[in-house]
Amino acid sequence: MTSNSPSEKRLEELREQAWKDGVVPGKGVDVAGGPIPRQPGYYGQPVVKPPVWTWEIPFYFFIGGAGGMSAVIASAAFTFHHVDLARAAMWLAAAGSILSPILLIMDLGRPRLFINMLRVFKPQSAMSMGVWILVMFITCVVPGLIALELHALQVFTGPMDQLLRIAASFLIFGSAIFGMLLATYTGVLIGATAIPAWFLHRVLLPIHFGTAGLGSAAALLELLGHRIAALNALGYYAAAVESALLIWLSVDKHGAADRAIHEHASGWLIRIGEILTGPLALVLRLFSLVPFAAISFLIGALVSRFGWIAVGKVSGSDPESVFAAEHY
Amino acid sequence: MPGLGTSFGRGGATTAQQDLANADCILIEGSSMAEAHPVGFRWVMKAKERGATIIHVDPRFSRTSALADIWVPMRAGGDIAFLGGIIRHIIENNLFFRDYVVHFTNASCILREDFRDTEEGAAGFFSGWNEGQRAYDKKSWAYNGDGGLSFPERDLTLQHPRCVLQTLRRHFARYTPEMVEKICGISPALFYKVADALVAASGPEKTAAICYALGWTQHSKGVQIIRTAAILQLLLGNIGRPGGGIMALRGHASIQGSTDIPTLYDILPGYLSMPRGDGSEETLRDYLAHQTKPTGLWNNYPNYFISLMKAYYGKNATAENDFGYSWVPKLTGNHSFFEYLYDMADGKMEGMFMMGQNPAVAAANSRFQRTSLSKLKWLVVRDMVEIEAATFWYDSPEIERGELKTEEIETEVFFFPAAGHAEKEGAFTNTQRLLQWREKAVNPPGDARSEGWFMHQLALRLIAKAKQSNDPLDEPLRSLDWWYPEDEHGEPHMESVLAEINGWYTLGRGTEAPPTLADGVVFGVDRDGKPHHGPQVDGFPRLKADGSTASGGWIYSGVLGPDKINKANTRNSKDYLGHGWGFAWPGDRRIIYNRASASPTGEPWSERKKLIWWDQAQRKWTGVDVPDFPPEKPPEFRPTGNESGLDAIPGDAPFMLHEDGLGRLHVPQGLQDGPMPTHYEPLESPVHNALYSRDTNPAVNWFTRQENRFAPPGDPRFPFVLTTYRLTEHHTAGGMSRFLSHLAELQPELFTEMSPELAAELKIDNGDYISIVSLRGAIESRALVSRRMRPVHLNGKTVHQIAMPFHFGSAGPVKGGATNDLVPISGEPNVTIMEAKALACNIVPGRLPRGPAFEEWIKKYVPQGGPPNLHPEQPPPGASPGPEAGGHGLQGKIDSR
Amino acid sequence: MIGEGIQSTNQRKHSYVQDRVEVGFFTDPSVCIGCKACEVACKEWNQVPDDGFTWSGNSYDNTGHLGASTWRHVMFLEQDRQKGNQITGPMGLTEAEDPFRWVFLSDVCKHCEEAGCLEACPTGSIVRTEVGSVLVQNDVCNGCGYCVVSCPFGVIDRRPEPLPDAGGAFKCTFCYDRQKSGLVPACAKVCPTESIVFGRLDDLRARGAERVQQLQQSGYNDAQLYDPTETSVRGIHAFFLILGEPEAYGLPPKPQIPTIYLKSAWTSAFATAIASLIAALAAFAFFS
Ligand SMILES: Nc1nc2c(c(=O)[nH]1)N[C@H]1C(S)=C(S)[C@@H](COP(=O)(O)OP(=O)(O)OC[C@H]3O[C@@H](n4cnc5c(=O)[nH]c(N)nc54)[C@H](O)[C@@H]3O)O[C@H]1N2
Ligand SMILES: Nc1nc2c(c(=O)[nH]1)N[C@H]1C(S)=C(S)[C@@H](COP(=O)(O)OP(=O)(O)OC[C@H]3O[C@@H](n4cnc5c(=O)[nH]c(N)nc54)[C@H](O)[C@@H]3O)O[C@H]1N2
Ligand code: SF4
Ligand code: SF4
Ligand code: SF4
Ligand code: SF4
Ligand code: SF4
Ligand SMILES: [Mo]
Repeated sequence: MTSNSPSEKRLEELREQAWKDGVVPGKGVDVAGGPIPRQPGYYGQPVVKPPVWTWEIPFYFFIGGAGGMSAVIASAAFTFHHVDLARAAMWLAAAGSILSPILLIMDLGRPRLFINMLRVFKPQSAMSMGVWILVMFITCVVPGLIALELHALQVFTGPMDQLLRIAASFLIFGSAIFGMLLATYTGVLIGATAIPAWFLHRVLLPIHFGTAGLGSAAALLELLGHRIAALNALGYYAAAVESALLIWLSVDKHGAADRAIHEHASGWLIRIGEILTGPLALVLRLFSLVPFAAISFLIGALVSRFGWIAVGKVSGSDPESVFAAEHY
Repeated sequence: MPGLGTSFGRGGATTAQQDLANADCILIEGSSMAEAHPVGFRWVMKAKERGATIIHVDPRFSRTSALADIWVPMRAGGDIAFLGGIIRHIIENNLFFRDYVVHFTNASCILREDFRDTEEGAAGFFSGWNEGQRAYDKKSWAYNGDGGLSFPERDLTLQHPRCVLQTLRRHFARYTPEMVEKICGISPALFYKVADALVAASGPEKTAAICYALGWTQHSKGVQIIRTAAILQLLLGNIGRPGGGIMALRGHASIQGSTDIPTLYDILPGYLSMPRGDGSEETLRDYLAHQTKPTGLWNNYPNYFISLMKAYYGKNATAENDFGYSWVPKLTGNHSFFEYLYDMADGKMEGMFMMGQNPAVAAANSRFQRTSLSKLKWLVVRDMVEIEAATFWYDSPEIERGELKTEEIETEVFFFPAAGHAEKEGAFTNTQRLLQWREKAVNPPGDARSEGWFMHQLALRLIAKAKQSNDPLDEPLRSLDWWYPEDEHGEPHMESVLAEINGWYTLGRGTEAPPTLADGVVFGVDRDGKPHHGPQVDGFPRLKADGSTASGGWIYSGVLGPDKINKANTRNSKDYLGHGWGFAWPGDRRIIYNRASASPTGEPWSERKKLIWWDQAQRKWTGVDVPDFPPEKPPEFRPTGNESGLDAIPGDAPFMLHEDGLGRLHVPQGLQDGPMPTHYEPLESPVHNALYSRDTNPAVNWFTRQENRFAPPGDPRFPFVLTTYRLTEHHTAGGMSRFLSHLAELQPELFTEMSPELAAELKIDNGDYISIVSLRGAIESRALVSRRMRPVHLNGKTVHQIAMPFHFGSAGPVKGGATNDLVPISGEPNVTIMEAKALACNIVPGRLPRGPAFEEWIKKYVPQGGPPNLHPEQPPPGASPGPEAGGHGLQGKIDSR
Repeated sequence: MIGEGIQSTNQRKHSYVQDRVEVGFFTDPSVCIGCKACEVACKEWNQVPDDGFTWSGNSYDNTGHLGASTWRHVMFLEQDRQKGNQITGPMGLTEAEDPFRWVFLSDVCKHCEEAGCLEACPTGSIVRTEVGSVLVQNDVCNGCGYCVVSCPFGVIDRRPEPLPDAGGAFKCTFCYDRQKSGLVPACAKVCPTESIVFGRLDDLRARGAERVQQLQQSGYNDAQLYDPTETSVRGIHAFFLILGEPEAYGLPPKPQIPTIYLKSAWTSAFATAIASLIAALAAFAFFS
């Protein structure tokens, strides 16, 4: 070890800080009540590891959700001949399909090895499944969008155009299938982990993430000017489901095991997110303040994704949550 | 260490760590063996697995206590009282191993009539005290009659009022369990638990072992604590037997080696005495007459000494010139480390070579050490990292506080990079007297060189210079036989050095002619390729006083004999004692005094505890270990009183280094501070001595000086007892641990262990910064509050003890205060070791001010003026410092530090 | 047993990898002296970087927990309880008896029979070796961090900047490299009291059971094995003897492998997906 190593610098900083504040980070046991550790578990150390994920992941959840569900809307719109809406939705889906892997890769510890994700296909790994879903989504969305645009702009005529239309409909439908999985698998991704507040809500999470994705897709399209009743209906649907989830979450408590959802900053994030996507969006729609409802829903969807990651960090760092989760 | 040496004959652990596995009870006191000797501790765990009771007596509940069956919280410095209490219990209740005690110890020897105990005459003093010289005249401690030490008068019934056992009984009578509680704070119930466990592990079928280290040695009465343990083990009949013994746990990898082939000022290799320069040992004849004992192994003194001279001076040492005796430096005073520190501080010493040592952190009163270093003109530091002893002139608390200024320090520091232990070959002698050869694993980096290289090259240059001068003062250098072969880098051949230590015949086999290669000469080729000497000797019995043999360290003889096998480098252990793995001195005996493992008549005491015994058919001693006894002397042999040497040792007297072959419960000769141990308070103590008006060991050297003051007993300004210790994670001054990230991260900061009670009293939280102050200085640390520390109740007074590791300093990646800034320099009378395990301090919550503000701060907590001798029993400056230590001689010694 | 010397499975050469024998660690705190040699040996052999010089104040433990740069971690528990029949102090004369004990346990990756990290890894970086251990292949791992949240014991972690090799997930390798050459894992090799025992898993399980019995007979009423064989983890290859409750050691009493949650989560995901599709189709069918 040389004296200008990073470790020593860290140590020097610690010392300086301790010197200034008179207090020291990482204080141990408190004598009041005795020197024997009274903190839960082993000196309050986490039992499981909190997620290492940073801001990219909640953004990815949000964008993947909205993009994926856009493809669902696109396919419905296409089926019912709302070609312009389908085009807009496909553009959104495509944007989502491009941004998602970028965010995902940005979050990797070693982005240049992203490609290793494609070495294996592992049904028992939600992460692996998710990556394959994302790959399939991109594979459908991008050509789907191209086919749709070529078709819509009438670049070709005759049988070629026919062919394009058929291809577009298949690809859009494919996009919808993988898109809806892209929007919901993220719930599985964090639900099937060792983090108590997550796995205790493994059923709720896909519903929330999927519905939030659907609502966000609708909201984005509405904000892009597609103010049609179908989207409004979807907006109602999503907000209603989110409101129901809010009630479910507030009722379905697991004590210390999922207190990260009900307490701390993480609890507030979740609550704010749910209120914005649920009751508030619903009320705004009832008052026909559609753009506001859309914005409320979008913000709520994003906030709650951050909320759920925060919940994972808090819950994962809380030894008592792990011990308490044994009872559920 | 004279504690073991005067009791048994040799200053080394009496047993091997592996043998601890055979113990029925192990008392670890004065050591945190699990922490400081973790690998050896496996044998303690093995014994525990086999059902042995493990007892740990320590002020701290340490990692050793955690694994013990019984932890006894001890007040630092109370050990003599505690062990003394057990001794009293054993004698009063007749629980000693009678056959062993009667035959193998001096229990039956009759003492002189004029001997007075501390309990009788002047309370706290033995007879013979001379206040002016601050030393004892030891005449009255001897045996009655004219048999001297060789043929003492004995009463085998042990009834004579002046026999050693009866004297001992009277001496320890006052150490009742109640007194033990008063002095040590140990409850009688707990005391009896320990006493009963020890007694239960005594007798023909059972044995108990005692392990100690610095918790005993670093006291102003350290030698006497060890003596108490020796008495206890002799009474219980545990010396020389499997699973018994006293395991002196030594420090640095080869600290045993560094007293065997000493780095000490007052002895020569093999515990031969450094000749005195006071006129009494001017000639070889005087010297030998002085040192040679009429009976016992030391009768062979001349053989060992002359062989050493032949090793030093080769052909230049002849009978005509007294084998070069006049070239050997003579002792003119106490040249211990602390004495020359004072010379350094007073500008009487110009320069110093410092190799493998870091006194700026590790030595007592390290603040004074650093300021004294700055008075040197030049300083050579050889180390693997840039330690505090090499950086004090630009990076030390004194520089930061403005007490020293870099521009004003004239010391020229030469830093030489040293090769580490894996980067050079050579032998270690470990704690159980075991020599183990170590190969070179890698080449040292850059310019780093081994110690061997440095000393060899330095010697070559000095000798070359001396050869160019005619100054008679240079004669000793010119006469040296510096013959060692070297490799292409100038590294001396280390096995040649070992071969020289082992010893050889100076001439060709059986001839007067110079040796030839045909003689089976081993390692005999000198730097010019010529045979340098004759064949190797196969052990110290071959050494002669006529110049026909040479040996650089007689006790190691046999390690590299005529079979040309470097036994230190053997790695094939054949039995549970490890024969075949390395070489244990003397003569590969793993448990010494092992004659005691057989009854007086030569049979094993029991089947379970057999080790060596007398084979009547072959008429010799045989067994698992190498007999540590004349191999053919029958058990029934009795001397007539006219024999000399080993011939005078009876067949039932296992301690053959002593003139009479007996283990010594009372030490008639060889100690400076009393023939029997008695409790004194540490130099700094929160209480007065509960036994008598004398508080401290009278013969101690206080090194009185303004920078080195002691708090008087019960000083309210320094109410807490501080003891110091080591962490498994660090090594001594930290040169080999604080600079390594994988160790440093495990214990990154200095801390002070304290009880919740004390923390509550001072309103300190775990993790807080606190400042610790003593009369010598102040440092800061974190507080580690734990029930592992407990207050003790002494005679109605609650005393708080705190404990601090001493591994930190101002250099390297993890820094911290040097605990030794708080510790005073003092000199135990026999070996001049400082008292670092019990001192007085105060705690001020919060951090120390940095920079010059420190000076104002310390004035607030430590009064600066007044005389240097604040302790009422401390002599003023200029008084006699006390007896000349010199305890390292003849009887040998153990870890001086 | 302690002191078997080179006969001990902790010291002798072996060919477990070649013979495809399942191996494990049995760790016994009743003989651990808290020397941390295992921690240091692990870091030295595997060239794991130091991860900070913070003093914790938690007894002698300044390491804290297992992680990307700590593959062995020795715990120091100070508890108000008696350890077996150990006597610690006054013996009732001056103060009321108040028991105290200090327990050390060397923690490590459990090398689960059903390993959450292995199942979760999307790159196949984590594999099961011939000896049944769970190994992260550093050159394959892309640092997705999914194993981190999938280990029920909180063992594996992603190494942060600025440490060397940052970004990858790391944990104990069971010294696979050493084992391949017939060497014993570094931590077990150096353990002076054989608190960590390395050997065949079946032998160790038998030995563990025996040791618990032995301890219980000699007064350690709260000695038990920590080897969750009844949960979905189905046992661990590095199992422990513990004194007292697992919670005190930060060990989950009933660890589960997260894959057991997949079924309900995926069902919910599919249902939501289908529901969303139906909702969209219905919205367009009925409202346009
Ligand atoms: N890891 C490690 N190992 C080492 C070393 C190291 O620095 N680090 N140093 C080596 C060296 S040089 C040496 S000399 C040895 C020393 O080995 P030890 O002597 O075992 O080590 P210490 O920790 O200095 O002190 C031993 C114990 O004595 C206790 N003690 C203090 N005062 C008293 C007392 O008055 N009575 C009793 N009964 N106990 C007391 C202390 O609390 C401490 O637990 O260790 C060697 N081994
Ligand atoms: N308060 C208090 N003070 C104590 C003690 C205590 O218990 N309490 N213990 C005392 C004891 S027992 C001891 S032994 C001393 C130790 O005190 P020191 O011996 O002064 O301290 P070390 O740190 O052991 O110094 C050894 C140095 O040698 C270097 N070194 C290692 N190998 C080699 C080599 O091959 N060649 C060279 N040239 N250098 C090498 C190391 O890097 C290290 O810097 O401390 C004593 N001080
Ligand atoms: S450091 Fe060396 S001598 Fe000390 S216990 Fe470890 S192996 Fe033994
Ligand atoms: S303990 Fe965790 S990291 Fe280790 S094998 Fe099991 S799941 Fe994987
Ligand atoms: S971080 Fe590495 S080892 Fe862990 S799951 Fe991702 S790819 Fe696999
Ligand atoms: S098996 Fe190897 S990698 Fe695992 S903890 Fe032990 S030394 Fe470290
Ligand atoms: S090496 Fe062994 S004894 Fe030391 S801490 Fe590790 S497990 Fe415990
Ligand atoms: Mo030492």
